[in-house]
Amino acid sequence: MELWLPLAAAVPLVAGALTPAIARRHPGLARPWALAVAAWVLAAAVQLTRRVVLEGPFSYPLGGWARPYGIELRFDEFSAVAVVIAMVAGLVLVYSGPYMRLALRATRLPWYYSLLLINLGGLVGFVTTGDLFNLFVFMEIVSVSSYALVAVAGGRIAPLAAFKYLMAGAVSSALILFCIGVLHALTGTLNMADIAARLATAEAPAPILLALAGLTAGLLVKSALFPMHAWLPDAHASAPSPVSAMLSALVVKVGVFGLLRVYPMFAAVDVVRLAPMYEILAWLGALSIVAGALLALFQQDIKLMLAYSTISNIGYIVLGIGLANELGMTGAGIHIANHAIIKATLFLAAGAIIHQTGRRTLHALRGVGHVMPWTCLALAVGVFSIVGLPPTVGFPGKWYLALGALEAGRPGFAVVLLAGAVLIFVYYIRILNAFYFRSPSEVGMLSVREAPVAMLLPVLVLAALCLAGGLLGRWPAMLIGPAIARLPGGG
Amino acid sequence: MVGLWLNIDYAAFVALFCIGLYVVLAKQNLIKKLLGLNIMETAVFAFIVTSGMVDFGAAPIISDDTTGPFASPLPHALILTGIVVALSITALALSLIVEIYRRCGTIEADELKGVE
Repeated sequence: MELWLPLAAAVPLVAGALTPAIARRHPGLARPWALAVAAWVLAAAVQLTRRVVLEGPFSYPLGGWARPYGIELRFDEFSAVAVVIAMVAGLVLVYSGPYMRLALRATRLPWYYSLLLINLGGLVGFVTTGDLFNLFVFMEIVSVSSYALVAVAGGRIAPLAAFKYLMAGAVSSALILFCIGVLHALTGTLNMADIAARLATAEAPAPILLALAGLTAGLLVKSALFPMHAWLPDAHASAPSPVSAMLSALVVKVGVFGLLRVYPMFAAVDVVRLAPMYEILAWLGALSIVAGALLALFQQDIKLMLAYSTISNIGYIVLGIGLANELGMTGAGIHIANHAIIKATLFLAAGAIIHQTGRRTLHALRGVGHVMPWTCLALAVGVFSIVGLPPTVGFPGKWYLALGALEAGRPGFAVVLLAGAVLIFVYYIRILNAFYFRSPSEVGMLSVREAPVAMLLPVLVLAALCLAGGLLGRWPAMLIGPAIARLPGGG
Repeated sequence: MVGLWLNIDYAAFVALFCIGLYVVLAKQNLIKKLLGLNIMETAVFAFIVTSGMVDFGAAPIISDDTTGPFASPLPHALILTGIVVALSITALALSLIVEIYRRCGTIEADELKGVE
């Protein structure tokens, strides 16, 4: 059906806007409503992915205006990540039931579900659009709903963390919009494929270079790469755990995914070379891997630790893009989806532990592995995945990245990659050691009960995906193969 | 140098953008930071709107007695969307500042560091 594509993003956006109205009379309806919408988005994403596998990329002209005049929605192999987006969002919604009932006042719950649905709609729209300004609008929908979600539950530092996040996000958005304006002034079009065609014959190097550099910088702030990461740890750690899972698994990926979307525009430009830009990306990625892992080592708070590890993992993805060969970019592409599954597992499991025990530092959580065996099992699976041990979902991405580094003749980057994995292993071993092998530091720990089913189930499903995704690791790589070949430097 | 004079409006907007960025980075008061952000956004909007200008262009409304050239209407449509985004960000940021003031009793960034 032709309409799956526009509706995949439009339905959650409209449904999100309607949620408070629906929940006004019947507050209990908000969660089932949100769940139904997420299930619908998942079905649509699976349909669209099936079609892209069978037929290759396809487009939908919004309002019947053909490109380049109208807004073009485009579903290519990268857009298949919408399946992961819908799945993670659906599981987060299931999990939110028992978690948010305690964290929020009942009157605020419909607004929370409304924001989550709008966030989901923005993410799906972001990965399926072929129009540069449309990309910006969806990015802003995702960002603004995320700023609000960080502060939704209140708490002592959450509003401040949300404000810092908002300032960083809004400044980078202004920069990105400025560069979109430059590109529009240069080419007179906003369709990304059309811009690529017209830039190929452009002669002025300075504005193209300005647009390329500005877009890169803006998107790197959004993805919290190391020197631009200051907003991330507080925002991700002080948000309620289901929100942390959404932010860390999906929302930071907006930046790196945006890089994959905007770089092809500059592929055919004669007057500006992309190679130095890739070189910078590779170095920043390598720096971010090591710095994120080192910073995570010094954290006591389990959620702060996970937040810093996100910076490290974004480094892996950016390094893969910066390597600019097929293997490296494949690694980056599949790590975007794989890290989403892993980080959702980790944040939801950690959230369940914090919810049940009321404690969040490693010291206070000693011995929790014995009273919450299933949650901690899922956390352990997540830990092994994020290190990248072979049978798990973290392995294929890093394997491709290492091969890509060797193929590019840069064994140094492969060493950084392994060093990062070892550092990650060290700080996650600390978690497992504290949870399983240390005796409880507090008496109250012995009376803690396992998480309720609605929280345990999503965590276990995600942990199972962590294992299954690793065993089926070749499928995503094969799926995005044609899209990688189209990228500049990927062929 | 002639090129610069021809594009003096663009240069002014870039300067305005940088002023806004300076305010965001250098001022401690959260409301002033937000003002800086709005200066940046205004610079971007003004830049994009002027980029749609055509010399001696008429307003792009088709009627019997108007003939081209017409100014490009697309940047105006873009900026309307951009203004809505900027407005929602400003509203959200102001409500966050109110919340920060209620909880911490100050909206100076350097004092807030001590509160954390």
